[in-house]
Amino acid sequence: MLSILKSEWFKLRKSKIFGILLVGPLIGLGAGIGADAVETAGAMNEWYMLLIYMNLPYSVLFLPLVTGVLASLVCRYEHQSGGWKQVLALPVTRGKVFAAKYVLILLLVLFIQLLYLAAIFGAGLYKGVADPFPAAIIWKSILGGWVATFPLVALQLWMSVWFKSFAAPFAVNVVFTLPSILAMNSEKVGPYYPWAQPFAMMYPATDTGDIFFIPWEQLLTVIGGFFLLFYLGGYFYFQRKAV
Amino acid sequence: MEYIVRTENLSKHFGKEKAVSGLEMKIPKGEIYGFLGPNGAGKTTTIRMLLGLMKPDSGRIEIFQKDLKKERLNILGRVGSLVESPSYYPHLTAKENLEAMRKILGVPKQRIAEVLEIVRLTDACDKKVKGFSLGMKQRLGIAASLLNNPELLILDEPTNGLDPSGIIEIRNLIKSLPSECGMTVLISSHLLSEIDQMATTVGIVTKGKMIFQDSIEAMRMFSQQSVLLKVSESDKAWRSLLGRGMKAGLDSGIISLPQQSDEQVAEAVRGLVADGFSVYRVEEEKRSLEDIFLQMTREEQAG
Ligand SMILES: Nc1ncnc2c1ncn2[C@@H]1O[C@H](COP(=O)(O)OP(=O)(O)O)[C@@H](O)[C@H]1O
Ligand SMILES: [Mg+2]
Repeated sequence: MLSILKSEWFKLRKSKIFGILLVGPLIGLGAGIGADAVETAGAMNEWYMLLIYMNLPYSVLFLPLVTGVLASLVCRYEHQSGGWKQVLALPVTRGKVFAAKYVLILLLVLFIQLLYLAAIFGAGLYKGVADPFPAAIIWKSILGGWVATFPLVALQLWMSVWFKSFAAPFAVNVVFTLPSILAMNSEKVGPYYPWAQPFAMMYPATDTGDIFFIPWEQLLTVIGGFFLLFYLGGYFYFQRKAV
Repeated sequence: MEYIVRTENLSKHFGKEKAVSGLEMKIPKGEIYGFLGPNGAGKTTTIRMLLGLMKPDSGRIEIFQKDLKKERLNILGRVGSLVESPSYYPHLTAKENLEAMRKILGVPKQRIAEVLEIVRLTDACDKKVKGFSLGMKQRLGIAASLLNNPELLILDEPTNGLDPSGIIEIRNLIKSLPSECGMTVLISSHLLSEIDQMATTVGIVTKGKMIFQDSIEAMRMFSQQSVLLKVSESDKAWRSLLGRGMKAGLDSGIISLPQQSDEQVAEAVRGLVADGFSVYRVEEEKRSLEDIFLQMTREEQAG
């Protein structure tokens, strides 16, 4: 399994992905620097205000979309010129190849999240935020947001294994990501909509006592449930795929 | 006999079309097995099933006398393959392509240089494969198939896209593998001449069915090539051959000797010369793959 993962990373790192990893954190950084945080100063820890500004474009749009782009990338070179038949004729199980690609995307998303953490920090320094940096940002926004992408990555990998073209999985992704802006505002749909989960997890809630309250139930049922559904769907599809 | 590959009643259909039906393939150890058949006969489909890339509808596959279904990983670790058009990662160089596979196979790094040398790609090893000619991609595919020093090498139409000198090189390479590396080779082709020059055992498939499977010598017998003689006074000469108790035919002034050994042909010529006839030409009747297929399928239907 580790050897497959190494091979996958080797193939991927030669395909100019570093630009893609930087886009999101830079968008966040831009939003943070441009944030108009003066009037709210003093009301709450300024880091939270900054985070709310930065999260909006990043967690609602960028993070869900980038899962799809990364999934397409790790499958693209297999579709191009008979890569699948070459890999699957090696002594590997399909389950492990699928898992290796999945884990690789998750690691890249985690890396993006860490860059985003750096972007939060950078924007705060630029703004001269004086409040102490709340470590909870790391736990909830960075790691929580990461976990919230697990089901999306699984679905996108499924689509990318299935469709040869870059466009089809991307279209699926956009079609489901855009409504999350609406879903977010709905008390009924919001908590159950997979594409709204990164935003929900990364958002510092203000109405509960604990600003970084983690809704464990939601995490396990919605994120866990959709993760299982999408991962198994992709896994079984890949098992049967004729190459 | 020890079979490296053995299939039992292997079948696969796409929609209504039977791509492979009831195939019984038997490849003895150390042979170069020529898998011969016209385009669309089901060769690639069979090979895909041998590698577990596609599931058969029915039938059984044994490789190294082990059930493919149960011991796929163990088997594939000892098999090298090239299926249909060459597989490669266009954004990687030749060396990187092999490195991506090597990481999974776990063979020593120096093996990459060795296989590149074998297929003469050493000079181009740091170029991106996207710029390679079809022939170079094909060589890279062969290099990849040799990476794990396989006991069974499966090559699907490996000389497609190669230029004549490349074909000869690859042919010599393949011929040397059984004796030098103890490999068994399965090579498919739609060209009789190609199989004729490499294979030691032949399986002929058409419309998904194996219509012939035996040694190459048996196939040559089956294809019944006759030797044609152009001589002076052909009518008299023919009678003199018959008088010597030889089988011979006469057709528009040409004497034909069906299925004769070299010795028998020599004897016929000696006889003719001794009887005072001039022998102008001795030639073998060339028959195309199509003729042989036609004959075999006719006998298949008759039998
Ligand atoms: N994936 C597929 N879907 C549908 N039909 C296929 C597929 N692969 C092969 N076939 C059909 O099966 C038959 C055998 O094809 P193939 O095994 O590629 O033949 P060969 O390799 O001998 O040229 C052909 O008629 C081909 O059209
Ligand atoms: Mg073919």
